[in-house]
Amino acid sequence: MSQANSLPYHLRPNKAADRELFLSLLARLSGTLHLETFRYVGLGGPFMEDFRMVHSRIGISDMICVEEDDAVRIRQEFNRPAPCIACVQNTLEEYVRSTDFDKPVILWFDFTDPKSITSQIECFASTTLEVPDFSILRITLNANPETLGRPKPDEIQTPPDGTKDPDDMKPTLNEWRLERFRKRMGGLTPNDSKAEDMARSTFGRALLKSVQFAVDRELLQVRNRRIEWLLATHYADGQPMATATLIVLPTGEPLPITMSSWPFYTKPSSPLILDMPILSSRERLALESSGAPDKFFDFTLPTAGLAEDSYASFRQFYRVYPHFAKVDL
Amino acid sequence: MKDPLVKAQAYPTKEFFVSMLTRDIKLEDAILDLIDNCLDGALRMANGQSVDYSKHLVTIKMTEHEFFIEDNCGGIPRDVAAKYAFKMGREASDSRDSESETIGMYGVGMKRAIFKMGGFAKVETCHRGDAFEVIISSAWLGDPGWSELDIVATGTPSIQSGTRITVEKLFSAVSHHFKNSAFENGLRTSVSEHFTMFLQRGLQIVLNGKPIPPVKVEVLVFDDDSKPAPFVYEKLIQDVTVSITVGLNRSVQLGGDDSDETDDEDSVEMDRERSSATAGWTVFCNDRAVIVGDKSRLTGWGDGIPLYHPQFAIITGIVEFRSSNAKQLPITTTKRALDANSEIWLEALVKMKEGMRVWTTYTNAWKNYPRSEQAKHWNAAKPLPVREVVTKIANRPTAKRQEGTIEYNPSKKDVLPQPPHKTVNTRKVVFIRPIPEIKELSEHLFENSDTPPGIVGQKCFEVVLSQARKTGKKP
Repeated sequence: MSQANSLPYHLRPNKAADRELFLSLLARLSGTLHLETFRYVGLGGPFMEDFRMVHSRIGISDMICVEEDDAVRIRQEFNRPAPCIACVQNTLEEYVRSTDFDKPVILWFDFTDPKSITSQIECFASTTLEVPDFSILRITLNANPETLGRPKPDEIQTPPDGTKDPDDMKPTLNEWRLERFRKRMGGLTPNDSKAEDMARSTFGRALLKSVQFAVDRELLQVRNRRIEWLLATHYADGQPMATATLIVLPTGEPLPITMSSWPFYTKPSSPLILDMPILSSRERLALESSGAPDKFFDFTLPTAGLAEDSYASFRQFYRVYPHFAKVDL
Repeated sequence: MKDPLVKAQAYPTKEFFVSMLTRDIKLEDAILDLIDNCLDGALRMANGQSVDYSKHLVTIKMTEHEFFIEDNCGGIPRDVAAKYAFKMGREASDSRDSESETIGMYGVGMKRAIFKMGGFAKVETCHRGDAFEVIISSAWLGDPGWSELDIVATGTPSIQSGTRITVEKLFSAVSHHFKNSAFENGLRTSVSEHFTMFLQRGLQIVLNGKPIPPVKVEVLVFDDDSKPAPFVYEKLIQDVTVSITVGLNRSVQLGGDDSDETDDEDSVEMDRERSSATAGWTVFCNDRAVIVGDKSRLTGWGDGIPLYHPQFAIITGIVEFRSSNAKQLPITTTKRALDANSEIWLEALVKMKEGMRVWTTYTNAWKNYPRSEQAKHWNAAKPLPVREVVTKIANRPTAKRQEGTIEYNPSKKDVLPQPPHKTVNTRKVVFIRPIPEIKELSEHLFENSDTPPGIVGQKCFEVVLSQARKTGKKP
């Protein structure tokens, strides 16, 4: 179930930066692939911000907004930013299963519910075989390791100095999570998964590896198509999230040449880490004008626990840092 | 003139071996066969002594163009290469391994693996300083005749006391698999499972530069004789030692916050989550895991025992068959499947089911209690592999030992934890309502529309029960 109606997306700089990177990717591909002729399918939440941006920046006018909750769908009908957006009441998985795509599609599986994460990944992976060539698929997953469950305090050992007591049979928190992760992901568990991959800063990468395996497993069945990963991110504004974007290509078809020079061209095995701090306008302008050095302020800029250095993260992504401002209407 | 039609040709064609026999084996299993050969080499090298696996290394590299596997497990003696190693099928006169617990018995593994992968192979080996190579070329493979292969001395050995097999001209389907990350991950997992005993003893298997860790198949045991222990049975049947243990796995220790459970209890996802890979039955033959985590009728589920269900995901059974006569082991030629009609297997199955009954009854007794309630009885238990379990339990004074048989049934020894308040009748209440209604009630009861459905349902129950008790009236 989408929880899009309860989260303030417009105040999340890293989510906004991630979306901006995706739009930048589409813009880069658009010249070669004529994306304006594609269909765009996604979850819009009550405000349909993604739809507004994709329509205005890429020019796509065949758009399907899927929403499970009928109350939200009715609200979408009111809020929709362009008349070319059709609001459909359904789950995204069911919509994909029941639709015969007759032209390339840009499909954003914007999942937030962590309980069904394995079937979400499998749905994304199987779609690579169902959509026409040149389709672009994107998945967003909840990458918070706490979603694997919470052990009771007496079920785990919590060594004060972080060194595991070998005589204590209880697992550490991350070992506990790893067992849960293995059970949840089954055959999609990376064979080399370790307890340290279950930490807040690393769990997103473990999930992205599973996404990669799921897609590759599907591709073993076919010889006439291949995929190329285009963009992978791991970001947090509180809740860590992981995303991966791919393009489906006929075998032998090269990746559009415009991609090779794109600085954000990444694969799920090494995602971009977006962990920029929430900044006041004054702080942002000061950092931008100074070229975002290693240390600028006398105070600490907090991270969401993904990046080691918030300055470095800002330096890498400052161009897509959102500009939020209060407007009185 | 002699009539040419009075004698029927009855010899095998090469085509059968090169193209047909390879269809009976999966690519992944063909690679496991090659690793099996390495381990048999290590056993022969030890010459009857126990093998120090930490000194052995198997390196595998696979790309879309080439496959190679290299070991330091002793190499192939020249006479074995000349008489047996490259022959299709094992000769009756081949008396190697009569005293050791190897697994190779049919003499097809290496050749079948090579034929499965590509059109050219080179086998380089060095045994006690004697280095040579044998090439299986595409010309030889395409020729219907069984001409002998050349054994060519290589002078300075490129490998020390071991064998390297390189396969080139990969078939396109094989190449497609070798460059696929999911295939590689699946192969890693199969190696982790199949060779877990060897990996746990120190053997290193490195695939594409990364070592493969073992998957541990273990059951929980307490040191204290009065505390819970698994079911154990061991007996020598014909030439095969059969060891069986059934108990609980580490999942029972993962209690967790019970609110995790109340939400979406019946969803497919939650069912899947509770079915871990090592739950169910794992069967070892001479230390190789033939099947891992089987939850089917093959191992007795649904055959006088309930069908496998997520409630039983905390149960792990392990059977081990050991023999220096590999032909007696209940496995097929691929070594990755059981010969379910074998007498030894059928006799073991009786005891396996007896052990399973102990634990299906146990989980039934606990099924209406929170996971955490049960977990606290098992938190201090130690997970152990089958060998160590049998040794430990055999030393319990209450274990039955007679005529070479060891038997321990925990339900008869009164060591299993019982649920608290066993006299109080509790039942799980499960029902389905539309999401908007759940949200509406969640908002009404908790001022938050996202409370887990299980909590909402429980609160509704408590509210109405308390109301009913206050008023004493029926609605």
